[in-house]
Amino acid sequence: MPATSKPQLRRAVTPWGSFSWGYSDVGADIFVGLGLVLAAAAGASNVAFLFAGIVYVCIGLAYTELAATYPVAGGGQYFVMRGLGDIFGFMAGWAVLLDFTIDITLFAWTCVDYSSQLLPVLTGSAHPWVHFFVTLTLIVGLIALNVVGVRESTAFNGVVSALDVVSETSILCFGFLFAFRPQLLVHNMQMHWPTPYQLMLGTSLAIISFVGLESISQAAQETQRPASTIPRTSIALILTILIFALSYSNLALGLQPWHPLIVNGHAVQFWEIFPNNGDNQGKAVALLASQIPYFGVIAALYVPVLGAVLLLISSNSGVFGSSRIAYAMSTSNLLPSIFQRVHPSFRTPVISIVTFGGIAMFELAFAAFPSLYPGAMGVYGRLFRGESGLGFLADLYAFGAATSYSFVFLALIALRLFDPLSPRKFKIPLNVPLRIRGERAEFPVVGVIGFIGIVSILIFTLFTHPIGRIAGPTWLVVGIITYFIYRRHRALPLLGSQTHDWRKRQVDILRNAGELELMDEYIANLKASDQRRAASTRGT
Amino acid sequence: MIAVRTALAVAMTLVGAIVLVRVAALGLRAESFPGLVLGAAMVALGVHRLALIARVRRGATRQ
Repeated sequence: MPATSKPQLRRAVTPWGSFSWGYSDVGADIFVGLGLVLAAAAGASNVAFLFAGIVYVCIGLAYTELAATYPVAGGGQYFVMRGLGDIFGFMAGWAVLLDFTIDITLFAWTCVDYSSQLLPVLTGSAHPWVHFFVTLTLIVGLIALNVVGVRESTAFNGVVSALDVVSETSILCFGFLFAFRPQLLVHNMQMHWPTPYQLMLGTSLAIISFVGLESISQAAQETQRPASTIPRTSIALILTILIFALSYSNLALGLQPWHPLIVNGHAVQFWEIFPNNGDNQGKAVALLASQIPYFGVIAALYVPVLGAVLLLISSNSGVFGSSRIAYAMSTSNLLPSIFQRVHPSFRTPVISIVTFGGIAMFELAFAAFPSLYPGAMGVYGRLFRGESGLGFLADLYAFGAATSYSFVFLALIALRLFDPLSPRKFKIPLNVPLRIRGERAEFPVVGVIGFIGIVSILIFTLFTHPIGRIAGPTWLVVGIITYFIYRRHRALPLLGSQTHDWRKRQVDILRNAGELELMDEYIANLKASDQRRAASTRGT
Repeated sequence: MIAVRTALAVAMTLVGAIVLVRVAALGLRAESFPGLVLGAAMVALGVHRLALIARVRRGATRQ
């Protein structure tokens, strides 16, 4: 019988394609995060973004190093499984899956919010059923598209990303030139500094503006020469997203509105239109752009459309990403093999797409329930301190991201110490050289700083998010129980790991990536290491 | 494409410099810190992008 090789993903993604792939995923986050953070952290919103931004830079550097070293589509789940073992790999992957399902709902929800700026019939508070059905229709439509195999093309992503970068830069240029008052920024920071609780809440929400770095590693398997391309594009991506987030938060606090803003009969400052107003929180960038003198006339028309398109692409990446992660976890024996099953005609992982799309629809129903049935508000108010639907989705998004990123930092440290022979074309700066089992290794100080930062954000999330505190850990516990049942059924180790031939796997990964020089370097490192060990064994 | 990228990088550098100068004019105080970080980061990113564009153009001229 002839040997059949598994079909591989085509490596057709260029450096710009790699950037735009990540940008269309992470770049949409500020459209969601800005309003939520302004509502929570008020005069300290820029500080919340700065803290989350520093952690995000550490996460970005960690993903860049890992994705360039191990360019496979599994992403965080693969790095953690390789560095810490199967059970932790499962937990990281399961947390990413939570994020992807929330991603589907949250971005479809805010896509409708941005559209409501031009179509008031879609406003959530005035027409909750219309908002719910349009969001649900978008999710069902994306699931159907992914089942038949249509996904966003890299070229389309590239065009939307380029338009968005130009648009956001224009908003910031005009905003800082014509509407920014530094005195107002300082005044707001002094007079509206939040309580420590609100600041922690704002910081935990600010991290959602930086979620989606998983896409860097997702793109790695389809990128040409990933070891050289990934570092270049992801550093540009990290800096661009960071600057947009910092800029928007500072601009929002120091913005002199073009037209007077009236809330309850009083003239208010720009950031004050967000607390207790879920409609405004869901379309903050469009509202900010419309308040810039002169430019706001045009921006008020096109920013909601551009935002809605970018958010829909991001929602689609949730459908696509969840099915791909589930598929990768299934091939690693972390999830049942049913998630590998592909549709006979469309050749897509239909079970994964429908399962995680279904979970996204359930999350939408839970988030929208109090607005659809006002009678349920009392129950939500008692149990969850009256969190809004958007707040619930943001809670879980922050929880999933903080959990998976925590594991990725630990995996980065473990792989640096226990896999020092894999060539790293990009290495995070600030390392302490040391020797482990006779091999030279480097301990990443930035990994420790990032780990402390992300764990503190995880603690903030658990402390300040009433629903996230319950639903997030419940998701993990349900996943772990499923994992144990599946592993027991397959007679695989429950807490330990299966036998993996990581050396052979790494050679295959580098060969498939076209990184032949790195593959040769890796093989030479292995030979030299084996010879050293043999010599030391003979010596003893 | 390179003209658009150059224009964006120049805009980023100039706006960053403006933010930096206007926030610094308020004096060194804790509330100025995020604005100063932002201004400096915008200038750094703009200059970094311009340097990359210049390197690409130099490479193209040599070929």
